[in-house]
Amino acid sequence: MAQRETVSGLPLDRSKLKTMYYYMVLSRKLDERMWILNRQGRAPFVISCQGQEGAQAGVVMALDRDIDWIAPYYRDLAVVLGFGMTPREIMLGFLGKADDPSSGGRQMPAHYGHRAHRIFTGSSPVATQVTQAAGLAWAFKLRGEPGVAAAFLGEGSTNQGEFHEALNFAAVHRVPLIVVVENNGYAISVPQAHQMAIHNVADRAAGYGIPGVVVQGSDPLAVYEAARAARERALRGEGPTLIEAKTYRYTAHSSDDDDRSYRTREELLREKADDPITVFRNVLTHLNVWDEGQEAQLQKDIREIVDDATDFAVAAALPDPSTLADHVYFSSH
Amino acid sequence: MATLNMTPELLKEMYYTMALSRALDDRMWILNRQGRAPVVYSANGHEAVQVGSAMALNRGEDWIVPYYRDLAMVLAYGMTPREIMLHLLGRADDPNSGGRQMPAHWGLKRRHILTTGSVVATQDVHAAGLALASKVLKDGRVSMASFGEGSTSQGEFHEALNFAAVHKLPVIFLNENNGYAISVPARKQMAIMDVAAKAQGYGMPGVIVDGNDPVKVYEVTAEAADRARRGEGPTLIEAKTYRFVPHSSDDDDRAYRSREEVAEWKKRDPVITFEKRLLDEKVMTAEELKTFQQRIKDEVNDATDFAEKAALPDPATLWRYVYAD
Repeated sequence: MAQRETVSGLPLDRSKLKTMYYYMVLSRKLDERMWILNRQGRAPFVISCQGQEGAQAGVVMALDRDIDWIAPYYRDLAVVLGFGMTPREIMLGFLGKADDPSSGGRQMPAHYGHRAHRIFTGSSPVATQVTQAAGLAWAFKLRGEPGVAAAFLGEGSTNQGEFHEALNFAAVHRVPLIVVVENNGYAISVPQAHQMAIHNVADRAAGYGIPGVVVQGSDPLAVYEAARAARERALRGEGPTLIEAKTYRYTAHSSDDDDRSYRTREELLREKADDPITVFRNVLTHLNVWDEGQEAQLQKDIREIVDDATDFAVAAALPDPSTLADHVYFSSH
Repeated sequence: MATLNMTPELLKEMYYTMALSRALDDRMWILNRQGRAPVVYSANGHEAVQVGSAMALNRGEDWIVPYYRDLAMVLAYGMTPREIMLHLLGRADDPNSGGRQMPAHWGLKRRHILTTGSVVATQDVHAAGLALASKVLKDGRVSMASFGEGSTSQGEFHEALNFAAVHKLPVIFLNENNGYAISVPARKQMAIMDVAAKAQGYGMPGVIVDGNDPVKVYEVTAEAADRARRGEGPTLIEAKTYRFVPHSSDDDDRAYRSREEVAEWKKRDPVITFEKRLLDEKVMTAEELKTFQQRIKDEVNDATDFAEKAALPDPATLWRYVYAD
């Protein structure tokens, strides 16, 4: 039985606050390990969540992982961990091992998918997940089942036609959809000002007749509140919501990118002062939910979890070459 | 019309083009129902928005990328009734496509009318591309794409408007909102009342105008063109209008809209109301109107006879325009 002790003025009880923080730290540490493995030549490619953990954990804690569906994008490590993927599964996918639940070692790393955990398989063309999530949400409506679908994407993807078509369709049919834009200000190397002639992605909601909400991504509680309100609205049959979480990514776009060519170190340092993990830890400490002892224990536990996931995945078998054509055409097994 | 910065000649030309379009359109339906023409897409009801907007541009110099309903627009832009009838009947000398495309797929290089595709909303990206070229070449041209409200739900609409806004391109996006995407009413097409509200998501002005008033359409289009030429970027114009006939000659609109609704809109028929206005305000005399009517009849008869007698494409030319040669 979870501890249900509420914290004054907050929508979450202590255990949930700690869980939220746990997924933020776990995803950061797993992510850091991935970079080490990549730089050691042991992993092909990393695409990071670092800096966006607050936005991701805030949304995922507002969802019901037993009934909702999510369609994440490549940066959503904290989202999929929060939705039930294990660190071992993450590392299996990262190293392309046979038991990778996302694709059996076929897809690029960070193309998450987990049927048992209601995580829809990700595709490489950005923004396709929004139409897919609108379809999942439509299925909830047609079947009369409770639950919502949540799609996650970067601000660059909001310039794709699929974003437009998905939001318009979802608004007309009032399907239970939450669209979460993790606006980190860069579409790979393209700054937001070169992608769109507006300041807030949330302004696009007006064109679909749905609410558009801006939240600070380093404040997971604010994100949680926005996502919870969007989910309740969706469950009431009032249709989709567009949430824009202002955030920042601390790493290059991927392990094959060098962000020094398009943004200054000063900008990066300025943004790091608003690190969601540090900010949230300070909030929890201030609320007497967290202390140094708990922090030390958490760091130790997570270190063990990350080590275990790494060792497990490194030792795991690669896909058998004879299974090369599996998952390409339909087969009943 | 003292308030208008428009000459009587221009107003009369507007009226003449609108009435000519209506008469040509009516003739097309007759030819179709007689089994002499394959399919008709009408401008019937849209004449004011099409003529008002086209005449606000530098015709033949600025580029337009029309859609299938834009008969009156291409007439205003300099395509002749003979050329239009050659196209309807798929003749060899059809300047739009040499008799290859479906009727109402306009294209006339001579007058800067870009060839149109069947896939709706592709004209939006094409117009944005033309405008990008104008910006790069500094040729001072404006481009205009026109489209129905149904095609604003397409991804191309979104991508074109976003790109045009970011790069401040000299382009006008003209939505002829007639309330129906074939049979789908606007409320089942979008969860907003006004297409113009979409402009906010791109950071450009969204203007609503009475699409049955050619003068008002002219004014907002001229303003949008000025803005574009000043380098301030695109404008989305939503002209509220109505189509009086089914979507095409293969559609029966009685299945999806009431006769009362159609009759209500017909009270505001742009050709009839503009004719009355020009007479009332003494811009046009009854005598002039009579002359116009006769001239229109002659032009439509001439275009029909000319196109019917014209040769069909030679089957030996089947592969022309498929690959470069």
